[in-house]
Amino acid sequence: MTSAVRVQGLWKRFGQQVAVAGIDLELPAGKFIGLVGPNGAGKTTTLSMVTGLLRPDQGSVEVVGHDVWRDPVAVKARIGVLPEGLRLFERLSGRELLGYSGRLRGLPGAEVDKRAAQLLDVLDLAGAQHKLVVDYSTGMRKKIGLAAALLHNPEVLFLDEPFEGVDPVSAQTIRGVLERYTASGATVVFSSHVMELVESLCDWVAVMAAGRIRAHGPLAEVRGAAPSLQQAFLELVGAYGRDAGSDLDWLGGGATR
Amino acid sequence: MSAGVTGVTSVIVRLKLSLLRNGLRQSTGRAVAYIASAVAVLLVSVLQLIGLIALRGHAHAASVVVLLVAVLAVGWAVMPLFFPGGDETLDPTRLVMLPLRPRPLVRALLVSSLVGIGPVFTLCMLTGSVISVAHGGTAYGFGVVGIVLALLVCMALARTVATANIRLLTSRKGRDLAVLSGLVVAIGAQVVNFGAQRLGSGGLAQLDGPAEVLKWVPPGSAIAAADSASEGSYGIAVLQLALSVAALVVLIAVWSRHLTRLMTAPDGSTLQAASEPAARRRTSTGLARLLPAGRTGTVMERSLRYVWRDPKTKAAWVTSLAIGLIVPVFNALQGTGSIYFACFAAGMLGVQMYNQFGQDTSAFWMVAMTISSTRDAYVELRARALALLVITLPYATLVTVLTTALIDDWPKLPEVLGVSFALLGAMLATGAWTSARFPYSIPQEGYKNVAPGQSGLAFVSILGGMVAGALLCAPVIALTIWVNVSAGGDDWSWLLLPVGAAYGAAITVAGLRLAAPRTARRLPEILLAVSKG
Repeated sequence: MTSAVRVQGLWKRFGQQVAVAGIDLELPAGKFIGLVGPNGAGKTTTLSMVTGLLRPDQGSVEVVGHDVWRDPVAVKARIGVLPEGLRLFERLSGRELLGYSGRLRGLPGAEVDKRAAQLLDVLDLAGAQHKLVVDYSTGMRKKIGLAAALLHNPEVLFLDEPFEGVDPVSAQTIRGVLERYTASGATVVFSSHVMELVESLCDWVAVMAAGRIRAHGPLAEVRGAAPSLQQAFLELVGAYGRDAGSDLDWLGGGATR
Repeated sequence: MSAGVTGVTSVIVRLKLSLLRNGLRQSTGRAVAYIASAVAVLLVSVLQLIGLIALRGHAHAASVVVLLVAVLAVGWAVMPLFFPGGDETLDPTRLVMLPLRPRPLVRALLVSSLVGIGPVFTLCMLTGSVISVAHGGTAYGFGVVGIVLALLVCMALARTVATANIRLLTSRKGRDLAVLSGLVVAIGAQVVNFGAQRLGSGGLAQLDGPAEVLKWVPPGSAIAAADSASEGSYGIAVLQLALSVAALVVLIAVWSRHLTRLMTAPDGSTLQAASEPAARRRTSTGLARLLPAGRTGTVMERSLRYVWRDPKTKAAWVTSLAIGLIVPVFNALQGTGSIYFACFAAGMLGVQMYNQFGQDTSAFWMVAMTISSTRDAYVELRARALALLVITLPYATLVTVLTTALIDDWPKLPEVLGVSFALLGAMLATGAWTSARFPYSIPQEGYKNVAPGQSGLAFVSILGGMVAGALLCAPVIALTIWVNVSAGGDDWSWLLLPVGAAYGAAITVAGLRLAAPRTARRLPEILLAVSKG
């Protein structure tokens, strides 16, 4: 089995803080892969380094057999990215943004327009396609970002928190598109801290905490004997059984003060 | 419930102090900037205080003072519209979840308004004004009341305007408007400059007319009361104070009503946005058909759209276009200018090439994802330069022709155009290179053009770039000088046009060629640098 992504000895420090502390990871191709972990675990930093948007302090990243830093031509054409916390060109309309993104990637104009129209349709954005992205809601932004990431039909798709702040209807739409995409043999790598979602979507997971990979493998393997991924995850990051209620004895009961 | 009332006031005042303190704590750069501006404002306050005291006894002192207070009041009224980010307590919707009654809230907000540099400046100015017009103990008595009233009127005015426009200020369109504040300042400076020149020629007596009216308009009337009292017209002084009191009462009533409505009515702004009919169809065909195909046309189209649609970019462009026109043409009109001032247009517009990627903000990642070779980076930068030239070339030519027509020195036109084009080329070349070497973030909110902590970088980039641009342009300038001083040079000075244009084009290409590999190599570093806004 070929691997979609191969990461070796990846490190990143920001000043004193170590964001990613030596990650080795091999992600299988053709799977729906979830990168899970609490806030601040280093998921975004890892995905940024894997996609070439952030230079690692140390380590190497290969995507479908090509080194991200030595062979950007091969890698950038084969991946689609939806980053978290970075803007889009928001003063373009949704349709213009797709047209811009597709043409920058060197696709012929007519093909870009055809694909853009279909993506806008499927993602339920056709009604807002002439509105500026700056006026879009969070869910609409995620969807237009996803459309831009899919437009050039990449082999591997990296999505950072694609469901964060997205309403259930949009989430279902995004899900449908991603499921169809992986069914064709493409790979999706996405980060999330919503375990139920990861459990229902992914067939392969990697658990991150404090800059390290705590567990990785097929979903059933990582879940082990635990009743749910949520429980397995809490045990892995060492947060299971922490009781938050004992000090808040005044809380509840209907008194106003 | 007076204890509760003072409670709210002290809480809000402490909130304001905490906001100030935390703002300073965020970064040392910000703290330094704040302290520097505070020192500057205090210095100006002291200077104007001395100036106003020096004015004491001058025949037109009262007119000057009344006008100053009126300008100050206008300043307070306009400020919240353009600098809404400056004071978070100006936005009462942040307090909407707290169980507060309007009356104590109004009092608390009014008192908290008095905390800050602005009120201190205002207080100094009002004090100076009273000192310059008041003669005698009674007049000072009126003056002290007048100062307090005028200060409160200014604060209430700012709060009322802010509250009445809060929906505008918190909406996207409103924030877009705020970004244009720099323009208002720039054009305002021109108006002040023009006014000062007129005053210089006409004398202070010109002020008496407007002052005659303004001394009845609050808050000017509160200060004018001190002058009236000095002349013994106590009745008039009392009336002027009463007018200010009335204005204060009305302002507070209006403010209070808006505040109540704001705090109790639901915010319908998102509902509106959702039901808003799809915006008019934005077609790309018209613009796109004229542009070359491939990356070049795509990038040019986006750049040109951003000039119009992105408020920051638009403000920068309008400022450059305006100053590029005003400086040569106004100077020519006043007969003080040289025809070579026309090069100003090219220089001002060339500045837009600087920090290209900072103008993208963190959306630069979309560009970075599609640049995988030096060639890609070169085409990207060249397209941006071309987009700039689409506007700049005709504009610089137009300004040069206009200036030449005003000065009526047509034989000089070719050489001035030549120098303009060479300068433009130098600016594009250095702009492209510094865009790759010294990128910095442009915050999208507010009026600042540099993210905190990067002003040194921006300074190096722009100033260093300009010096380098001037040096690059030096051969053509030297040639121009030589042609002008040498005997019979006028006969072939027209040659400077093709020479300047060719030179400009050549160094632009060279600059782009130098910048491209650096851009391609440093994509993650550039992204990091431009994502701080």
